[in-house]
Amino acid sequence: MLSREEVLKIAKLARLTLTEEEIGFYQRQLTRVLDHIQDLNQVPTSKEGFVQHVPSDAQCFREDRVEPFLNHDGLINNAPVVENNCFLLPTLVEHS
Amino acid sequence: MEFGTQTIWDLLSGYQKKQFKPSEVISGYLKNISERDEKLNSFLQVRPEETLAKARALDAKLDAAQNLPLFGIPVAIKDNFLVQGWQATAGSKVLSGYVSPYTATSVQRLEEMGAIIIGKVNCDEFAMGSSNENSAFGPVRNPWDLERVPGGSSGGSSAAVAAGLATVSLGTDTGGSIRQPASLCGLVGLKPSYGRVSRYGIVAYASSLDQVGPFSRTVWDSARVLEVMAGFDNKDATSSKHPVPRYTEELKSNTKRSFTLGVSRAWLEGVDLDVAKSFEAALEVFKQMGGKIVDIDLPHTKYALSTYYLIAPSEASSNLARYDGVHYGYRTQSAKSSEELYSRSRGEGIGREVKLRIMLGTYALSAGYYDAFYLKANQIRRKIQEDFEKAFTQCDFVVTPTSPSTAFKLGEKTDDPLKMYLSDIFTLPVNLAGLPGLSVSCGLDSKKLPIGFQLIGKPFGERELFIAAHQYEQIRGEFPLSSMAKGKG
Repeated sequence: MLSREEVLKIAKLARLTLTEEEIGFYQRQLTRVLDHIQDLNQVPTSKEGFVQHVPSDAQCFREDRVEPFLNHDGLINNAPVVENNCFLLPTLVEHS
Repeated sequence: MEFGTQTIWDLLSGYQKKQFKPSEVISGYLKNISERDEKLNSFLQVRPEETLAKARALDAKLDAAQNLPLFGIPVAIKDNFLVQGWQATAGSKVLSGYVSPYTATSVQRLEEMGAIIIGKVNCDEFAMGSSNENSAFGPVRNPWDLERVPGGSSGGSSAAVAAGLATVSLGTDTGGSIRQPASLCGLVGLKPSYGRVSRYGIVAYASSLDQVGPFSRTVWDSARVLEVMAGFDNKDATSSKHPVPRYTEELKSNTKRSFTLGVSRAWLEGVDLDVAKSFEAALEVFKQMGGKIVDIDLPHTKYALSTYYLIAPSEASSNLARYDGVHYGYRTQSAKSSEELYSRSRGEGIGREVKLRIMLGTYALSAGYYDAFYLKANQIRRKIQEDFEKAFTQCDFVVTPTSPSTAFKLGEKTDDPLKMYLSDIFTLPVNLAGLPGLSVSCGLDSKKLPIGFQLIGKPFGERELFIAAHQYEQIRGEFPLSSMAKGKG
């Protein structure tokens, strides 16, 4: 089973604050899924078989041209807090 | 006249004969929503006045109805699509109250061809789930049996059409999220080839797997929606320039074609008895149509679940990093540093299953584990693709049941993530290989719940899928309606 510390480390990397109850819950759930995933080790693989993109004739290039986006208000209105047309954050001076 | 059980075909013929007008149709569907959806919880937003105004504007153009392939068709849109002016929550508290500043290309193409958005529908949070029980706005219920799930993640999209609250709907499918709910609700559900439909304007879950597709009552309707929305989009670099056939034209011909279907017997182990019986009966129908059934070997599909649950969460952990409480979405009230602002906003705003997948992905991509997990999974993904490539030298389609069981009860699989994930064993490999998959209903089980089978095609082989499924549908006959669609729910 994943340790409490391991879960807290993953949560920190993922920028997720967990409650006490959640830490135990995810210890069990992550372990359950990771145990299952071990079956992949039965499959011999080599580095050549790596897939970076799914098969498709996709992946095209286009000119890097700036196009105007006309709904500025639509973007700004979704912000949690706005002041003078800017996204407002709480004062976040971190003391060293 | 009562509305709710019509297909696109029915409505278009009615408009051409001037039997009814778009505003009458839309009023009928809105009435169904207000009368029936309290029990289902499929709609998250309806805007009756605006929707009716759009319908009335179309009333004036009734004479030219035949010029628009989706003239006056009510379409429900999964809440992870952006439609300008409408909310887009993706089923998450994090996006509660978010109003879309622009419209997804797929939706825009439908609207340009006359479709009317009847509402935004519920789904599992960020499209992660197989039962619609992971929505922050409550579960959706199955119109065939209200004690049961409609499937997921596009559960609202399937329930709405199955209950007669929309003629067709759009969903997204990353590992089965269109095909499984279509199967559980007695509908046709298509996951197109990767790159067939633009992903611009859908809330990203796993970008190498996500695809947009329709729910409908018939194969013809599915073909009509796809031909309108498919094709290259400058705003999605992974959308394909492969030409889009007029799929519905292909369904006009009376010439019957016969196909060779590949079945992997090893893959079918563990399927419910009623599902297995119904699946075999569907194979018999294909034989009657002159088709052949051949045994194929797909040795790596048994690893699809593990492969998927490394690749999809890895991509999700990156895609969902944007929900940090800064520019939009939920923001915590109690942050004393920037670090706390991100972590608390995410911790408080994101739901249980989504956090699990974000952490799985974070773990798989973290230093020291990348080769063992993410790289390994991608190598096996290649082997799964090769299995299909080899199979297609022996057959036209691979065929499976869509889901190993029919609709299960609410709460039945919520405690164990793996139990839930296993609902998608037949659909996950199709996304990993980037192939098109079509679910079609083939019968009812002993509890009168719908059963579906899945036809898997070659890349960009939607045309052949439609032809084969349409022929099957002609022999099967009209599929029964849910009691709720008949107005008795």
